Amino acid sequence: MVELKHALDAKGHCLLEMPTGTGKTITLLSLITSYQLAHPEVGKLIYCTRTVPEMEKVLAELKELIHYRDRYFHEPGMEPPKILALGLSSRKNLCVHPRVSEEGSRESCDSQCRKLTASWVREAHATNPDIETCSFYEGLEAAGAEGVMEPGVYTLQDMREYGRKKGWCPYFTARHMLAFANVMVYNYQYMLDPKVSNMVSRELEKECIVVFDEAHNIDNVCIEALSVTLRRQTLDSAMRNVGKLKAAVDKCKATDEQRLKAEYQRLVGGLQERGALPRGRPTPGGEDWLANPALPEDILREAVPGNIRRAEHFCAFLRRLVEHLKGRISVEAVVQESCTTFLATLQESINIDGKTLRFCYDRLSSLLKTLEITDMDDFTPIHLVADFATLVGTYAKGFAIIVEPYDDRLPSVPDPVIQLSCLDASLAVRPVFQKFQTVVITSGTLSPIDLYPRILNFNPVAIQSFAMTLTRDCMCPVVLTRGADQTAVSTAFEVREDDNVIRNYGRMLVELAAAIPDGIVCFFVSYSYMDKIVSKWNDMGVLQDLMAHKLVFIETVDVVETTLALDNFRRACDCGRGAVFLSVARGKVAEGIDFDRHYGRCVVMFGVPYQYTLSRILRARLEYLRETFQIKESDYLAFDAVRQAAQCVGRVIRSKADYGLMVFADKRYQRADKRDKLPGWITTHLKDAHLNLSTDMLMHIAREFMRSMAQPYDGLAIGKSLLTEAQANAMSSGASL
Amino acid sequence: MAASASTPHPPENWEEDDDQEADEAAEMEAFQRQYEDNFSWEALQEDEFGRLRPLDFREEQRAKRRRLLSAAATACIRRGMIRYLQIVVDLSRAASIGDMRPNRLAVMSGVLQGFIRNFFDENPLSHLGIIITRNGIAQRLTDLAGSPEAHISKLQGNLDASGDASLQNAMDMAAESLKSIPPYGHREVLILSAALSTCDPGNVLDAVKAAKQNEIRVSIVGVAAEVHICRVFTQETGGTYGVALNEKHFEELVFEHVPPPPSLATDAAASLVRMGFANRNQDGVGGTAFIGKECKLSSGGFTCPRCKARVVDLPCSCHICGLTLISSPHLARSYHHLFPVKAFTEMPQAELDTLKERSGGRRERDRDSGGMTCYACLADLDPIAVDHGEAAGVSVVVRCPECRQLFCFDCDAFIHETLHNCPGCLCSAGNESAEDGNHAEQTDAMDEE
Repeated sequence: MVELKHALDAKGHCLLEMPTGTGKTITLLSLITSYQLAHPEVGKLIYCTRTVPEMEKVLAELKELIHYRDRYFHEPGMEPPKILALGLSSRKNLCVHPRVSEEGSRESCDSQCRKLTASWVREAHATNPDIETCSFYEGLEAAGAEGVMEPGVYTLQDMREYGRKKGWCPYFTARHMLAFANVMVYNYQYMLDPKVSNMVSRELEKECIVVFDEAHNIDNVCIEALSVTLRRQTLDSAMRNVGKLKAAVDKCKATDEQRLKAEYQRLVGGLQERGALPRGRPTPGGEDWLANPALPEDILREAVPGNIRRAEHFCAFLRRLVEHLKGRISVEAVVQESCTTFLATLQESINIDGKTLRFCYDRLSSLLKTLEITDMDDFTPIHLVADFATLVGTYAKGFAIIVEPYDDRLPSVPDPVIQLSCLDASLAVRPVFQKFQTVVITSGTLSPIDLYPRILNFNPVAIQSFAMTLTRDCMCPVVLTRGADQTAVSTAFEVREDDNVIRNYGRMLVELAAAIPDGIVCFFVSYSYMDKIVSKWNDMGVLQDLMAHKLVFIETVDVVETTLALDNFRRACDCGRGAVFLSVARGKVAEGIDFDRHYGRCVVMFGVPYQYTLSRILRARLEYLRETFQIKESDYLAFDAVRQAAQCVGRVIRSKADYGLMVFADKRYQRADKRDKLPGWITTHLKDAHLNLSTDMLMHIAREFMRSMAQPYDGLAIGKSLLTEAQANAMSSGASL
Repeated sequence: MAASASTPHPPENWEEDDDQEADEAAEMEAFQRQYEDNFSWEALQEDEFGRLRPLDFREEQRAKRRRLLSAAATACIRRGMIRYLQIVVDLSRAASIGDMRPNRLAVMSGVLQGFIRNFFDENPLSHLGIIITRNGIAQRLTDLAGSPEAHISKLQGNLDASGDASLQNAMDMAAESLKSIPPYGHREVLILSAALSTCDPGNVLDAVKAAKQNEIRVSIVGVAAEVHICRVFTQETGGTYGVALNEKHFEELVFEHVPPPPSLATDAAASLVRMGFANRNQDGVGGTAFIGKECKLSSGGFTCPRCKARVVDLPCSCHICGLTLISSPHLARSYHHLFPVKAFTEMPQAELDTLKERSGGRRERDRDSGGMTCYACLADLDPIAVDHGEAAGVSVVVRCPECRQLFCFDCDAFIHETLHNCPGCLCSAGNESAEDGNHAEQTDAMDEE
């Protein structure tokens, strides 16, 4: 908390590693909201989370906090301060329109919404009442500037209810209230992805405090925000889109040429200045497109080049571009090149220069708007192409273009793909660091913590890794290096296929299943490895032995199937049958699902979850990291693997009353260079005697641990992990002296 | 294989995993070292009789005291004196694991036999039955009955573990037999569980609900680890759940169930229970008659006051008219559960020192009386004296909150477990009227009765 305060005082950024279950969220929320209270000049708190459930959790905690504050706020002559806090999510999560909210995907929901709320639809509605509009949006519009929410904390559910009650559209109300709220909770994308953040986060003032929670993967999010992948199917449908556009332009020309002319005039004057893409409020309608994929500072503020100003010229331009890309994608071997060389070939073959490309995206948006096209999801492919073109045109450095004729893992299936891959995580996050005075990055696993400022290229004023004070040793990390027969176990490439290793892993799991109650979670390094090992186990009879003790559930690539498996896993744990969940590091389960209490009494990490090192993108990125930030490949890979492993095992401890055994089953964890990359809260509990174990030693430790943890856990916390009242008083008096 | 052949080898320098033989050898023993560095025998000392005794008793004694205290802390709570206890013994495969010596099963059955004897000693009015579960089914070993020896002999004949345990089946069976118990009876189930999973025909949570409905208190003692469903069972029904660390701890946990549990508020309404004080028959040829259900011709036994049927042993229920037959000593033995001796408080070292200071002067004068001695057994309580004295080790000193007398640990245990009366309080009650003034001083000098 002190570190956080320092960072706030110094108006700098900070990086905090706090273990899970230590009240990270509440600490951040309580200090920052109090700080806002004490220093009114500080702006909003923007709390970025990764998933919607996390968002809900944060808002629920904030609600409790504010409730507490209202009760205990005693300042003579002052009312308890009012606060407005709300969550912003996609239309899919917020929509209350009876039909639109039933839509399956986010995209279709978005486009359905646009159909009802676009400015021209509403104009048409004014003359012809048969055209349907959204009553909730109209309700908000009617309220106009008066449409201000009462102070309070609104979760997404509350927002929906509020919207229903008032007859306002929750999504647009939230967008509107952005300017008034004290605390905003939303997704990373809204801050990092330039397409979305230009639309949403543009108008936030500089004094805002931005918090990235669970930010151990922030570099990957940044990279994803600026990467584009084009498949052949995408290009094919992009081609069809171009045809459709052309037809629409022709039709428009025949019926309403004036409109195209007006657009042309606007374009001559430049896109931004003339407000061809009006943003924020007051917008005439809810049709807002996603903004330019490039970062705001990199967008050219000048007139659109002449060769694409006219609609039909632009269509021809797009057709040429897509044709060219289709030519490029049909290669036999892998091609990797930089943006510069790509542009050079483009210039050579179809005479398109980089500058034109940069306008591609805005020009497309403008055209779609002029043509009054609302079903955006149909035009996603051409949008992707435009994204691609704009990014290629804008950035010469930090990107790589990789064309692969097939997936390395399935070489027999042709699946050509062009990837524009961002190599530099700092690109997307830079505007955030520059714009806002304080950015807090926090997670349970940020070790080694000094690597993050290098990857993200910023200078934090405070870096701190907090240890966890526990009333008892409720974590028991152990490193298993050998099987019962003393042969080393590892998922290293050479021994991965070895039957001996697989058998040893299997025997270990069976024995663990016999000694550990309720739920066990296992993480494998990849889906393919898991498939292989499970089928081998089946042949060896390991799986049958395992089933005698516990039911076995497996994570699959399919989300629905996995959710079902998880649900049944929980039921098996609840009713005392016990279950094992086999899942994959970096998968959905490893990132977002908690296995707290009896759902995860033990977690086994089979192997070191290295990234797929043959991936071209990863290689390009590694090379870039080495050249630009002087980070060694092996260092980065090990860092990345260990942070994933730590993330996986961290799933089982969600509070201090919880306990769990953490098994790192690979001899490579024995090495110091892996161990010292583990976060502090794990290493402090990693005893010497728990290193380099064989299966039988592990079983002994597991039994002892389970027995000792099953002893009654009484409230002896005071004095050890909680301060007594006297100690707290002593601290505060010491601080004031 | 096409897939594996075409997957090239990842570059060496990225995923290196060279062996660090030297390091490994050093760390190899870390696991063993924690046992080698454990010089637990140095904490022991041989006394003059050649027995091994720990140097510092206090930790061990405090643990024991904690158990006593928890029993005493619930003093003045209504207790269910007439208990109907179903014991469920888990004879699943997991019971044959040898992490307790010689194996879990042997430990469980040994402790259980001791428990059954103790149970009837302390609760002469109560009944007990045994259910075993193995191979996914539950089986009734003995019906609810009074005689300990019958249970024990039956139990000894049925000890082979196999298959899975079924919590639901066992609970259904226990609930079935406990359902018909009259309302004054206290319904309990004690499960000794070894398995970490249960194999149930339906939803085990229904069994939890049923147990709660029938006001059955379910307590579980596990030997391996905490299982969620067991926790749910005990929490929902108001029982306790313990997991044994070792054999000794297991015994302690099971024996915690010997004294009757506090009764629930719901059945607090007082009710009269009809009982018969059976007359003892004459021994010898003159008193020979057909006795009991089995109609054995023998002498002795007891006669039911209502229907004049003869029974072998007390306490029991009459096999003809169903009347509960007891003798008055049985009632008296149950009585102390209602009025336990108050828990003694442990004296902190600092307070002991000041007390020593005060008594120090007097000690010079008359060494053999007064000073820091146990009120009950006159053992010296002064740790300094112990150093060059005969008694070994440092011991916990306790004080009765009523009469403020000091007692040694052994007497404390004896008073609470067996005697059920505080000698200090009894003495002062007799002298209350005669003596006044400085009460504590007076009693200090007093001799034991």
